[in-house]
Amino acid sequence: MIARRALGVLEQLWLPVLLVVWWWFASASSTSPFFPPLQEIWGSFVSELDSGNLANNFWSSVRNIGVGLLVAIILGVAIGTLVGRSRAARTILGPYLQFARSIPQVALIPIIIGAFGITPVPKIWAISFACIWPVLLNTIDGIRAIDPAVNDMTRSYQITTRLGLMKVVLPATLPQIMAGIRVSLAIAVIVMVVSEIYGAAEGLGYFINHAKGLFKTEATWMGTLVVGVLGYALSAIFLIIEKRVLHWYHESAK
Amino acid sequence: MTTTETRGAVKDTSLYVRGLGKTYVTNGEPHEIFHDVELTVSPGEIVSIVGPSGVGKTTLLRCLAGLLKPTEGEIRIGDRALTDPVPELGVVFQDYSRSLLPWMRSRENIALPLESKGVRRAERNRLAEEALVSVGLEGSGQKYPWQMSGGMQQRVAIARALAYQSEILLMDEPFASVDAQTRFDLEDLSLQLRSQLDLSIVIVTHDIDEAVYLADRVVVLSGKPASVVDVVDVDLGSERDQITTRSLPEFAEARTRVLRQIRRLDSHHPAETS
Repeated sequence: MIARRALGVLEQLWLPVLLVVWWWFASASSTSPFFPPLQEIWGSFVSELDSGNLANNFWSSVRNIGVGLLVAIILGVAIGTLVGRSRAARTILGPYLQFARSIPQVALIPIIIGAFGITPVPKIWAISFACIWPVLLNTIDGIRAIDPAVNDMTRSYQITTRLGLMKVVLPATLPQIMAGIRVSLAIAVIVMVVSEIYGAAEGLGYFINHAKGLFKTEATWMGTLVVGVLGYALSAIFLIIEKRVLHWYHESAK
Repeated sequence: MTTTETRGAVKDTSLYVRGLGKTYVTNGEPHEIFHDVELTVSPGEIVSIVGPSGVGKTTLLRCLAGLLKPTEGEIRIGDRALTDPVPELGVVFQDYSRSLLPWMRSRENIALPLESKGVRRAERNRLAEEALVSVGLEGSGQKYPWQMSGGMQQRVAIARALAYQSEILLMDEPFASVDAQTRFDLEDLSLQLRSQLDLSIVIVTHDIDEAVYLADRVVVLSGKPASVVDVVDVDLGSERDQITTRSLPEFAEARTRVLRQIRRLDSHHPAETS
C-alpha cells in the first residue's frame, strides 16, 4: 500500500525534478542578462526570504486574492440567485451581464487604480470585479438548470423559501458555482499580478516590477516563479475543497 | 386557546373532485386535456387512474396535488377547497432519482418537509426513523439516495410522504422504473401501509394489472379530451396476494373490463387524432 503510494508520487515527480535539474545545469554557465543561472535565482529566493521581504509581498498578494475572491463569490452567488430565479431580471439584465463579462478584466485596472489610488482596496475591488462574472453567470445557469421535478417536490411539500434556498437551491447549484469559482481563481491571480505591476507599494507583482526596474533579473525570475507556484497551490487547495463539498456530486455520478 | 390538527381525528379527509377540467392555451389555441372528471376518495381507499399514455393522467394528478390550477370544477379535502399543496396530500413522484435530493442522506430527505413545518430536530429525526421503519428501511437513514437501489429510493420517497403525515398519497407511475420483483414488493408495501395507517392512495399507472391489484376502484380515463369513461369496482377484499389474488376470476374479470374500456375508446377515435 505504502509502496504503491510512493510509486504514485514518484510517477508524478520525476518529470518536474528532471526539468529543474536540467535547468540548473544548463543555465549554470549562462552569461545572458535575461536568462540568469537557476543557482542565482535560488540565491535570490533564499536572501529575499531571509530578509522577510518576499514573505511580506507574498502575503499581501494572497490577502488581495483572498478578500477579492470572497467578495466576488458572495456577491456573485447572491446576485446570480436573484437573477436566476426571476425571468424578468434575466431578460432585463442579460445583455448587460454579457457585456460586462466580455470586457477583458485587466483593461479596467488603469481606470480603477487611477480613480482610487494605489492602496490595496482598489486592487481588491479590481479582483472582485473581474472574478464576479464567472461565478454570477454560472450561478444563473445552475439555478435555471434545477430539475423541474425538484421544484415540484419543494412546492408540494411546502418547503419554505428560506429553507428551500439554503438546503435545495444552493446545493443544487453548487456544482456550477464551484466551476465558476475555479475559473475566477485563475483570473484572480492574473488581476492580482497586473494590478500590482501597474501601481502598488507591495505584493508579488510589485516585487517583480521593482526587481526589473533595478535590473535584478534573477529576482524578477524568482518572483515570477513564486506567482506560478502560488497559482498552482491555490488550484490544488481548491480541488481539495471542491472534492469535499461536492462529494455527493462526484460519487453519485459514478 | 389554540387548536391543533391531529392526524386522523374527527376531521373529514375525503378527497372530492367535482366537474374537474383542464384546458391549456398554447399560441392562442385552447387544448382541452380533460373535462367533467368526478372522483371521490374516502379514507382508507385506494383508487387507480388508468388510461392510454398521453391521456392526461399526470396532469390530473398534478391538479389533485395542488401543483396545477384546474380551469373548471373544484377539488375539496373534507369541506375545504384545495387551491395549493396541503400537508394532507403527500406526493410520490414517478422519478425518485430526481425528487430525492442527492446531497442529503435519506433521513434528511425525509425530514426536510418537517423542518419547514417547524418540527423540532429531535422530533424530526424520530418521525423520519419511524417512517423508515414503516417502509422496511430500518437503519438506512444514513445512506445517500444514490447508495440505494431504485426500489429503496422509492421507499424513501414514500417514507417522506408518511413522515409528513399525509393522509392521502398521490402516486404518479411510482413503480414504473423498477424491476418486476421490486414492483411487486412496493405494491404490497402500499397495500400494507393502507391497512396499517388507514391511508388513502390515488395511483396513476399505465399498468392495468397493477391498477386492479391495488385498487378498490379503477377509474378509466380515455378520449380526446379525456373524461372518465368507466369506474370499475374491484371486489377483492383488503387482503391481497401477488399470486392468489392475480389468479382469481374476479381479478381477470376486472382486468378484462378495464382493458376493454381503454381499447374500445381508443379505436373509436383514431380519425380524430390526425
